Amino acid sequence: MKEHSKPTFESYNRDPKLYDEIFDENDNVRNIYATLFDLYSEHSAKDFARLNDKAKASFFNQGITFQVYGDHEVKEKIFPFDLFPRIIDPQEWQVIENGVLQRSKALNHFLWDVYHEKNIIKEGIVPLELISSSANYLDQMNGFDPPGGIYNHISGTDLIKHSDGQYYVLEDNIRCPSGVSYVICNRTALKRALFGVFNHYKTHTVTNYAENLLEILETVKPKGVDIPNCVVITPGIYNSAYYEHSYLAKAMGVELVEGRDLFVENDFVYMKTITGPEKVDVIYRRIDDQFLDPLEFKPDSALGVPGLMAAYKQGNVCLVNAPGTGVADDKAIYTYMPEIIKYYLDEEPILNNVPTYHCSRPDELKYVLENISELVIKPVDEAGGYGISIGNRLTKEEIEEVKETVKASPRKYIAQPIMSLSVHPTYIEENESFEPRHVDLRTFTLLGDQKEFVLKGGLTRVALRKGNLIVNSSQGGGSKDTWVLKNNQ
Amino acid sequence: MLARVANNLFWMGRYIERAEHVARYLNVNYFSSLDAPNELSQSRQFVLQSMLFMADDFSRTENELNEQEVLYDIALNPDRAYSIINYVKLARENANSARDLISTELYESINKFYHFVLNYSVENFTQRGLYDFTVQVTENVSILRGKIRGTLLHDKVYAIIMLGVNIERATQIIRIINSKYKDAVLAQGSYGDTLKNSYEWTTLLKCAESYDMMRRFYRKTPTSFTTLEFLILNPDCPRSVINSLNQVCEHIKVLSHEKYPSKTSSEFLIGKVRAKYQFKIIEEIESDLQTFIQNILDDLNSIALKLENEYFNY
Repeated sequence: MKEHSKPTFESYNRDPKLYDEIFDENDNVRNIYATLFDLYSEHSAKDFARLNDKAKASFFNQGITFQVYGDHEVKEKIFPFDLFPRIIDPQEWQVIENGVLQRSKALNHFLWDVYHEKNIIKEGIVPLELISSSANYLDQMNGFDPPGGIYNHISGTDLIKHSDGQYYVLEDNIRCPSGVSYVICNRTALKRALFGVFNHYKTHTVTNYAENLLEILETVKPKGVDIPNCVVITPGIYNSAYYEHSYLAKAMGVELVEGRDLFVENDFVYMKTITGPEKVDVIYRRIDDQFLDPLEFKPDSALGVPGLMAAYKQGNVCLVNAPGTGVADDKAIYTYMPEIIKYYLDEEPILNNVPTYHCSRPDELKYVLENISELVIKPVDEAGGYGISIGNRLTKEEIEEVKETVKASPRKYIAQPIMSLSVHPTYIEENESFEPRHVDLRTFTLLGDQKEFVLKGGLTRVALRKGNLIVNSSQGGGSKDTWVLKNNQ
Repeated sequence: MLARVANNLFWMGRYIERAEHVARYLNVNYFSSLDAPNELSQSRQFVLQSMLFMADDFSRTENELNEQEVLYDIALNPDRAYSIINYVKLARENANSARDLISTELYESINKFYHFVLNYSVENFTQRGLYDFTVQVTENVSILRGKIRGTLLHDKVYAIIMLGVNIERATQIIRIINSKYKDAVLAQGSYGDTLKNSYEWTTLLKCAESYDMMRRFYRKTPTSFTTLEFLILNPDCPRSVINSLNQVCEHIKVLSHEKYPSKTSSEFLIGKVRAKYQFKIIEEIESDLQTFIQNILDDLNSIALKLENEYFNY
């Protein structure tokens, strides 16, 4: 017997000012979601409460958790997972796929140039001080040719859909972008909970990520190596992304190592196995530049491997992503992306950039200070959604405070118009119903020597708090399974 | 396989096994004391002392032990190194660092086990839950054994876990024998019995889950002689020391492929220790059990150290 409780979408209030992913401006369900909406409407709110609990237990038991440090104890929490998937139609996806690939390639050219001839600076397209003042620029990389000529093997591109229905890129993450394991977990969890819905939609798989990643790693093997020995290096089991590190190693069938498992001798890297040293050729590193090698960077860091940079510069091992990529995923460089794409690829950017004001430029700084209430102020070098001020949420006093901070170090800040992230129906536990919440999308792009791959899917992150625009998991965001549909629906 | 990870897998095996033996020791001793035939064995203080002895806690000086405190310490007190909760926590931590090598199924079972122990209500445990908790711990360990055997490749990873499991099992069996032997010495004569046919031998066999099979094998009431023979020397008893040593011998062969292992290798030492006990007779053991216990604990320890030096300490 079907339980009779309130209909699942009863309390769904569409906000006409925002782009709603499933309802159009006349409150009709968009075509692509029609079948799914009908299927979900057959379930009662109680059913969803139960499925939601099951999905949570599944994540918890599998240990797909992160740790929260309280006063007395360490608590394990799961990353919230939402039962309502996001669907992207094939045409729309093709644009995203071409767009993120274009950006990743342009960034790779840009990095080569920045660490070699620096033509883009000489020609005055990107100002020198953006590079020279960047904390992520590494002198060690100057003049060095990374294997295969690839810097950003793995790129995570963050996109949003604005109220105009267009996609905009918010960030290019080309240091150690994370989240791909959740793409795969979310798919597994949704299949377990509601396998029936997959009968109605032909969706691209996401489980092929690891095999493609391994192929990419193998394309950038050092010279003279036949079958390369690839490893994943992690800061260890207490790192918040440890699950992802172990997942990727397991899925690729390669060793998951910590810094202390490796050593360098005569500029070759070896891992310490039970049968003695074993040479390592390609390292997918999930530790930041500054921790890679205590001889070159932070001398007190125990996470890295002494001598690793020397081995890398001798061409005896390949680091993925290359050190020093951070110089290009700086929020200030982001604003030059349209020019960077044109300069290197001679193409028009496929995906929109959000218009950006540089506080380092006096006239733009003036505009920012006068219009703070309509802008988002972001520090250029923070990750995880920290240090962001959203103008229309600030009190008068807070606006003054922000003005002072920005004036004190204008180079550190950029400002953008407040983008209204699209909303998507999201199951809200407290209310036992679906409500609109803001979402973004992180895509994953792989670049290798003569090989490229864009994962057909991605991580749709959702801000669970009502009205909140920040979707990062460190700020209480959840995520959704993301379906890229096949052409022949 | 990384040396560090091999070490973690070895200890994962050891902690899983250890948690089970401690849990069963609590269960069997407590419940068999409830209707034990003599006053001393029935005394709660006697049982609590025995539990602390098994846990290696000699720190208590008070005359009167507090039952709830002792039970809590051994099972759920995170501040006691010897508590079950700590063993399970360490087993999971070790599994965590080898997560890319073990199966999702095995990891999920360890993780569930850990959360079961972590969330077990202390109040419930000390007042009503002793039976339930200890039985669930032993059952969870059985599930883990099944997942280790049934979901892992039987390669070096498996061999290292099984080395840990078997070295720990032999060690725990010896520790349980030591503990119950001491109890049997103390309890002898208190209702006209002798050390030879003490009630404590039955308890000892139950602590090793070997009572029924021992009765099947000998068809007699357990005596010190038959009990020790069964638990130490019977190769068909899955909990016997010699059975564990035989398995250690088998698993070390997966790691080492030498036809003539060097005199300094783990394989050589393991073979030597196994041979020593393979041809022991129970009369030699029973005549001086204390010395025997000390010697075999030393032997097991030297095997563990040798493995550590050869494989884990890079």
